Order: sequence, then structure tokens, then C-alpha cells
Amino acid sequence: MTEHTDINSVPEATAVPKKRMTFSVAWIIPVVAALVAIGIAVQQILAKGPTITIVFKEAQGIEAGKTFVKYKDVRIGQVTKVQLSKDFTRAELTASIDKSAAGLMVEDTKFWIEHPRVGPSGISGLGTLLSGNYIGVEAGKSTKAQREFIGLEKPPVISIDEPGQRFTLEADNLGSVGIGSPLYYRRLNVGQVIGYDLAENGRSITIKVFVKAPYDKHVTADTRFWQASGIDMSLGANGLSVRTQSVLSVLIGGIAFETFVSSGDAKPAAEEAIFTLYNDRAEAAAQREVEVTPYVLRFKESVRGLSVGAPVTYLGLQVGEVTAVGLEGDPKTGDIHPRVDIVISLGKFLGHMRQAVSVKELAMNEKLRHSILQRMVDRGLRAQLRSGSIVTGQLYVACDMHKHVPKVKIDWTKSPAELPVVPSGLQDLQDKINGILVKIEKIPIDAIGEDLKKLVARLDGLLKRTDEEVLPEAKKTLEELKGVLKSVDTTVVGKDAPVQQEVREALQEINRAAQAIRGLTEYLEQHPEAIIRGKTQEKQ
Amino acid sequence: MRAGALTGIKLGLVSCESCGLLSRPVKVDEPGHCPRCGEELELRRHNPIQRTWALIVAALICYIPANVLPVMVSTTLASEEEDTIFSGVVLLYETGSWPLALIVLIASVMIPLTKIGALAYLLITVQRRSIRGQGDRLRLYRLVKLVGRWSMLDVFVITFTVALIQFQPLMSVEPGYGVLFFAAVVVLTMIAAETFDPRLIWDSISE
Repeated sequence: MTEHTDINSVPEATAVPKKRMTFSVAWIIPVVAALVAIGIAVQQILAKGPTITIVFKEAQGIEAGKTFVKYKDVRIGQVTKVQLSKDFTRAELTASIDKSAAGLMVEDTKFWIEHPRVGPSGISGLGTLLSGNYIGVEAGKSTKAQREFIGLEKPPVISIDEPGQRFTLEADNLGSVGIGSPLYYRRLNVGQVIGYDLAENGRSITIKVFVKAPYDKHVTADTRFWQASGIDMSLGANGLSVRTQSVLSVLIGGIAFETFVSSGDAKPAAEEAIFTLYNDRAEAAAQREVEVTPYVLRFKESVRGLSVGAPVTYLGLQVGEVTAVGLEGDPKTGDIHPRVDIVISLGKFLGHMRQAVSVKELAMNEKLRHSILQRMVDRGLRAQLRSGSIVTGQLYVACDMHKHVPKVKIDWTKSPAELPVVPSGLQDLQDKINGILVKIEKIPIDAIGEDLKKLVARLDGLLKRTDEEVLPEAKKTLEELKGVLKSVDTTVVGKDAPVQQEVREALQEINRAAQAIRGLTEYLEQHPEAIIRGKTQEKQ
Repeated sequence: MRAGALTGIKLGLVSCESCGLLSRPVKVDEPGHCPRCGEELELRRHNPIQRTWALIVAALICYIPANVLPVMVSTTLASEEEDTIFSGVVLLYETGSWPLALIVLIASVMIPLTKIGALAYLLITVQRRSIRGQGDRLRLYRLVKLVGRWSMLDVFVITFTVALIQFQPLMSVEPGYGVLFFAAVVVLTMIAAETFDPRLIWDSISE
């Protein structure tokens, strides 16, 4: 059996016909691997958003590959490169933005570096102490895509999607307003200053403010804005007035607005509407007077203490204000005197009226207005400077009725028309005292003295003569008079003088007569019939 | 291992790779199935060179994204950092731990590449029926098989790191796509090494 176990005895394998594969199935593996790799590559490329460059003044705390770009605190990208600009003046950041946020990268999108800031309105960006600085994004409204941006120094104060309206204010100067300064409406903080700039011509300042919704609807075309900065202290004819908005505005300044008088069509102002920024509340409030008539006053006295804005009163009620104080003169005569420009507000004037007067009628009818004023002037209406406060010496213009003033005709052809004036009370008094002094000066005191001297000399002579001639005569006469008096004493005044005796008896007689009359009158009172019938006998 | 050694093919015999039974193939082209266990018989592995090539090519393809894509994404409060294998090496080197950098460089960058290169070399020599240095080539092959598993070092490191560092929101580490491809490279090269039939090295001598 062992011989049989040779090669031939090994059993033959069973033949199974099979299709020979010339191409190995294993090739599927690299194909799959390639497909997966390509797939991921494509996905990565597709998921890759735009790459943007932002130019900053300095890349404060920015690190490539570590700093995020955040919009509403959501990561939308990452800084990939930080380098200097070609002229070495600025930092250029390259950031890759997620594809999902690619739509944010438009023309007016703003970027800034968020880091902790201590500003007038608080501390911001404290979170960056932990997380490190990041690049903040503020979405733009444009639809035009952009990839290159200039970074902001500071984050924008108001987010673009915050409801509210932006307005532009024009001011002479910036005052103490800064970005972030509050905006007050009835002392309620309703917005902020979001920016300011010098006007193109350099003559004014444009301040951009933002009023939050729903307060923005209170801004109408008639709204006045004024600087509510710090402490507004004024020393005027009305005394000392201090006005502030809030402690915050005292420190960092602010702007307030109010609609003093609405013209009826109080529609909210349009977006980006332009307003004038007044220096203070009074100025803003005063500007509302539409119906103001200018007049000019020509005083002949010093206007020291009269300032612009000083009140003009009619019988003590304020009806206008001083708009300008200056000098005016005629070069020919060389007469230079103060000229005071005032405005009389019809609205204020009529506001004091307690009876219904159609404002419009009076405002529109100029002739009526003129005739009324002329009649008042005829009756003695005069403007006069008066001291509003003894302490400050501030003057105001008082229009009051004065008696015994010459008639004046107002020349309406001139504009502004001139109102007649009278010297101030103080001036009047001064003038009178002056007059008295002048009269006193005119008294010839020297001559009077001389005359008096002469008179005294003559009197002296007279007295001498009297002494020498009159006195001895008088002595004689007096002695004679003495003798007469003595005789009178003995005959008339003495106790036992006969005249005395007779007088005493006569008096006793009169006394008795009086008693008889008294008895008669008493009887007559009780018995009036006795006049006719006679005295009846008394019954027992 | 001298030339002209007796081989199963020369004798017209084939051994079953499953049960080891020696049998005579039906045809040299189609040896048929094992009469004992029914396993398909192979004089040499079926299409061995093509299969190995395919795996090597796949590994090579995967090698590119494995190095380009991040293998690890570490997120901290301040930043998000993506690390590729090579940036990891650079980082280790820059922070002063060059021995570690060297280990990672060798294990993760050089070894997979060397394996692919070595296998490609073996395949080319087999295809060209080279008769020189068979012993060296065999030692190379054994080295490739031995060293293959160590390439998974990087994958392990990343797996551990990802599992351990999860301190949301302070810091967290997540695997990147790169690590998948890297693992694929390692696995594919290991399989390629397995599919390579070292018997082929000697076939040119036997002929």
C-alpha cells in the first residue's frame, strides 16, 4: 500500500470552471479612498467662506489662528494672518469667514477690535479679559459684497439693527458732547450721540444722534435740540438759574430735546433729518417764537448791564427779549448812542391775555397791529431801561405807560420800527438832582454874603443910635407908666377898691335872677298851659 | 534557499492554506478546491501583486489628506486651533521636546511612507523577477509587517486626548478628518503587507 502512496495516488482536485478575473477587485479600495478624499476636499472647499482683509491702526492682541471674528457673539470666522501693510503704517489682518456668514461681508460692514474699555458710559468688553480680544462685526445694510475693509477704532455705539432713528444736529461747537453722550427727552435717556464731525466748510459741527424706538416718534419737525451738558448756570435779570439734566450729563455732557410748540402736523421727523443744536434750553425755547416783531430802541443813556436775552416786559409781563445791544451813530453829527434791538413776541403778548383774541388775525393783520401800537404810544407807551436786580445790576427793558410825554409817531416804513423811549427812573432822578445842583450853583452866595455884611454894619449903627437916644427916653416913659399902674392898682384891682365892691354886688344880683328863671322854666315844663292861663293856685 | 529548489508547483502539488492538505491542482491556472475542506486552492495568492498594489495606492491616496487635514481640533475660550500631524511635530520641536518630536515624526510620518515605499519596492522587484537580494527583501518584508502596528500610536494619542480633554467650555479637543485618513493609511498598509505573498520573492529563482 505504501507503493500506492506516490504522487499519482494523491487525489485529483475537483475542477470548478471559473471566470478568470484579470482585474483585481482590490482596486476598488483605492478608488473608494480617492473618492472619499476628493469628497472631503470638495466639501472643505465648498464650506470655505470668503477670505477678507481688514486694515487696523494696530492689531491689539490679535493672533493669527487664535483670534475669532464674532458677530453677535457668534463665531463667524477666524484670523488667519496678521501682517503689516506695505508701507508699515497699519496692521493688515486676513480672516477666513464661515460660508454661512459670507452674506455679512458687504460694503458697509464694520469691524473693530473688541477689548476691555473703560468709557464715560461704563465698562465694556470685560469678557475679552478671559477669552482674549476678538474682532467684532457689525452687519451692513448694503447688498454689495466686499472683501477688504478698514477697521474702526471703537465699536459703533448703536447696532445697525437696533430700532430707532438717526438724526443729524448742526451746532456751532461740540460743547462737552462726545460719542456715547446721552440724549434726554424729558430727562429720560432715550438715545445717544453716535458720532460727530466737522462740517465740510469747517464752520459748524455735525453731530449724529440716535433716538431709540419708540421714543423716536416724539421727534417732529418742531422739535428743538439743545446742549444739556454739564451745569448750565446763568446770572441774568431773573436772578441765578441753574439747570442740569442728570449727574451723568453733568460729567459727560448730553443733548436734550423737546417739542415746545407743535405746529399741528406733528408727524415724526424723517430719518436722518437735520436739526439745529441750540446752546441751552432757553435759546432752544426762544426759537419757537415764529411771530416775533423786531423793534429798535435808541437810548440816550448807558446800557451797562443790559445783555442779549434780557427780557422785554409790558406792564411787568414778559413779551419779548433783547436780541442785540450795540452802538449807532451819525458820523455827521458825531452823536453816537446805544441801539438796542428787541423782539416782541405776539404769542407771548397774547398769551397773557385773558380774553380770546384771534392770534392769527392779529398776526396776519399788520395794519391792525400797527394802529394798536400807535394808539398805545399815543397814550404814553414808552420803553425804559430798568434794573432787574440790584445785586447783579442786570437791566431789562420795560414798556410802560408814562404820563406827560411828548407825542411820537412811529415810522412804520423803517424796518425794524423804532419805539420811543424814556430815560430810566434812575436816570430821571439823576437828572432832577442834577438840575437842583445846577440851580444851587447859580445862587450868588458871594454877593449874598457881601450884602449880609453891609446889613450887619447898618444894623450895628442903628443899635448904637438906639442906645444913645432911644433908651434914656424909654426909661423916663417906663417910670411914668409905673406911676399910672400903681394908681390903677389902688382904685380898680385892690380888695377894698370901690370898683371891686360894686362888681361883687352886681354878680350876686345876677345869681338871684338866674335862680328865679330856673324856677320859672321848671314850672313851665310841668305846666305849659300856664303861659296862657297863668299860674294856678296850688291845691292843698 | 538555493536556486532551483523543489517547489510544490514544480511537483504539480498544492497545499491547502486552510487545512494544510497536500493535493494536486486540477490545472495550474485553476487549481480548484481542497478535497478535504473545500477551500479554494491557490498555487500563489490570487492576483497578489495587483491586490497589494491597489492597497498601496489607496494608502498613498489617504496619506495626502491624512497630512493635510487637521487630526486634532483643540478649542479653548480664546481660540480654536487645528493641528495637522506635521504641525504637531513642529510644535513639539519648538517647545523643546525634540525626542518626542522625533518619535512622532518617525512613527507618524516616516513609517507609513516607508512602508508604502518598501511594499512598492518589493512588488516592483517581484514583477521584474529580480533574482538578487531575496533574503534582504524578505527581511524588509518582515520588518514592514512588524513595524506596521506602531503607526497607530498617533491615532491612540488622539483618541486618548479627545476622550480626556473635554472641559467644556474652557477647553475641548475633537478629532479631525485627518485622523480617519491616517488610520486608513495604517490599516491599508498593514493589509497590503498581509496580502503580499512573500513566496513570490523566491519564484523567480525557482524558474
